[in-house]
Amino acid sequence: MIEVTELRKTIANVQALNGLSFKAENGKITGLLGPNGAGKTTCLRTVFGLLQADSGEAKIDDVNVAVDPMSAKQQLGLFPDPCGLYERLTPREYVQFFAQLSGMSVQDAKSATQNVLNKLQMNDIADRKCQGFSQGQRMKTALAQAIVHKPTNIILDEPTRGLDVMSTRILRDLLLMLKEQGHCVLFSSHVMQEVAALCDHVVVMVKGKVVAEGSPQELCDKTQKDSLEEAFITLIGSDEGLAA
Amino acid sequence: MMNLIRILYKKEMLDASRDKRSVMAGLYYAIGAPIVMCLLFTVLLKQLSSPEALEITIENANGAPNLVRYLEGQDISHGESSGVKAITLVISEQYPVHMSEGKSAEVIIIADKSDNKLIKSVRRLEAALARYNSEVAGLRLISRGIDPSIMRAVSVQTQDQATPDSKGGMFLGIATLSIIIALFYSAMNLAIDTSAGERERNSLALLLSHPLSSTQIVLAKVAAIASYSMIGLVLVLVVSKFAYGMVPWEQLGFSINIDIMFILFCTLIGLPIALMSASLLVFVSFMAKSFKEAQSYVAFVLFVPIGLSMMTTYDIGTDYVQWIPIAAQQYAMIEVIKGNELPLLQVLLSSFSTLGLFAIFAALSSRMLKSEKVVFGL
Repeated sequence: MIEVTELRKTIANVQALNGLSFKAENGKITGLLGPNGAGKTTCLRTVFGLLQADSGEAKIDDVNVAVDPMSAKQQLGLFPDPCGLYERLTPREYVQFFAQLSGMSVQDAKSATQNVLNKLQMNDIADRKCQGFSQGQRMKTALAQAIVHKPTNIILDEPTRGLDVMSTRILRDLLLMLKEQGHCVLFSSHVMQEVAALCDHVVVMVKGKVVAEGSPQELCDKTQKDSLEEAFITLIGSDEGLAA
Repeated sequence: MMNLIRILYKKEMLDASRDKRSVMAGLYYAIGAPIVMCLLFTVLLKQLSSPEALEITIENANGAPNLVRYLEGQDISHGESSGVKAITLVISEQYPVHMSEGKSAEVIIIADKSDNKLIKSVRRLEAALARYNSEVAGLRLISRGIDPSIMRAVSVQTQDQATPDSKGGMFLGIATLSIIIALFYSAMNLAIDTSAGERERNSLALLLSHPLSSTQIVLAKVAAIASYSMIGLVLVLVVSKFAYGMVPWEQLGFSINIDIMFILFCTLIGLPIALMSASLLVFVSFMAKSFKEAQSYVAFVLFVPIGLSMMTTYDIGTDYVQWIPIAAQQYAMIEVIKGNELPLLQVLLSSFSTLGLFAIFAALSSRMLKSEKVVFGL
């Protein structure tokens, strides 16, 4: 479970987070929806302890990230934006390295890596260096890294960027499977179809604040629109809507 | 704690070994420097030691047969071969007359005294002429019944205490300098790549979002960089062993002999320096906001060890400098090559202070990684 309360953060005179509060439950997919520059990435970075909030707190499984980052991060898988690949390593080496960093033994890390490579249908590129990978191949590698150690909480920053249809389907199935298994999945996106198709709970944020939350259907009902896209534009106000 | 450092270290080493070109670029120094030094020393030695027989042009040699014979006794003679030096000794027309009348007989040396290669030979000719002068003058005094020693108010005696090895002081300084610098240069690329480069490729943030401390990350990186520094050091020592073996040292009567004991000794005292240099490079690279900036800063920072090493090489303030890290280790290397006693106190003290610097730079780097400004290069 991931919970943020009253997060405030200023970066270089920009109020990136302005009293942000929401909750992502276990066994649910929570979507963080917002136009460009709404503070989605800043919010996620604060949750995994890379940025320190000026005030407010972020909790992972009831552990405050700022107080005990080590045990908070133990139950966290991260799919960052940008991916942060090691160009000279192969996906197998890359995924296994991060599995070991998350505390798995060599043997466990090896088999877990093989499992996740199978699951993401990556065996054809598993032993090629990441250098020269397509965007989709990079995303898959980063995704494998995020879930290899089966963390309770998985955070994905714009996971669908650059994926082809097949890969998007794989990702979708994967996220649904993770949800089924009771994981807490939190992802940021501005692709409405993805959010509408996947999310149980949508948090719409603008200028560092939550403007609305609920299931996609609830948001549509609330704004009396037919599609989530229309609802979203109504919620954030049209100016930002165009920017998205 | 240690386990995570080991995992990180293995990954750094694997990653670095895949980046063959930039790693090799660092190691080229270790291979190239001794070979360049070897060529340089060979040329320098040739210039310093003039050959025994000095051939010059003597004009009007018939006018002064005794002088010419005397000079020949000193291995200075008239020559026409290609090895003749651009020095002309002109014996004046009046020389025989003035000589027999007991007057000052004129000889003229024509040479370009600004030519460094010539100056030694000119001095040698001048000294020989001065000796001939006092010899003839002595004979004249005797023939007049005067003790020639009256002309020697001060009798200067020089005792050359230079042992063959101590003569090579400057050569030793340059040779050891090139060895110590290898520790800094061999892993320079790797250090920038693994710190500033890691941040630029966005993998640093991902690394930090895992359950490990920034100290573990820094220590693993420093260990990997230091490993490559040590590879560079061993490489430079082995290449030096063969390269310096080919320098014609016998011309000056000393030699730089790198034996297996010296290689082991250098590896031992090089280890703290490698750790210090690695942590310094990481610290500087993280301070910079980008890869390019890091490259410039690292180049500046490397002047410090080079400067310290230079001070030892040229014997500037050695009494104090020999206690400072890097300079002290180099001083010890020079003493060991010369076959003198190892300055144990200096070596221990400077090694400890080198390790102290390593701890400081590592702690500073690890503290920097806790700052979001550093991690995201804001």
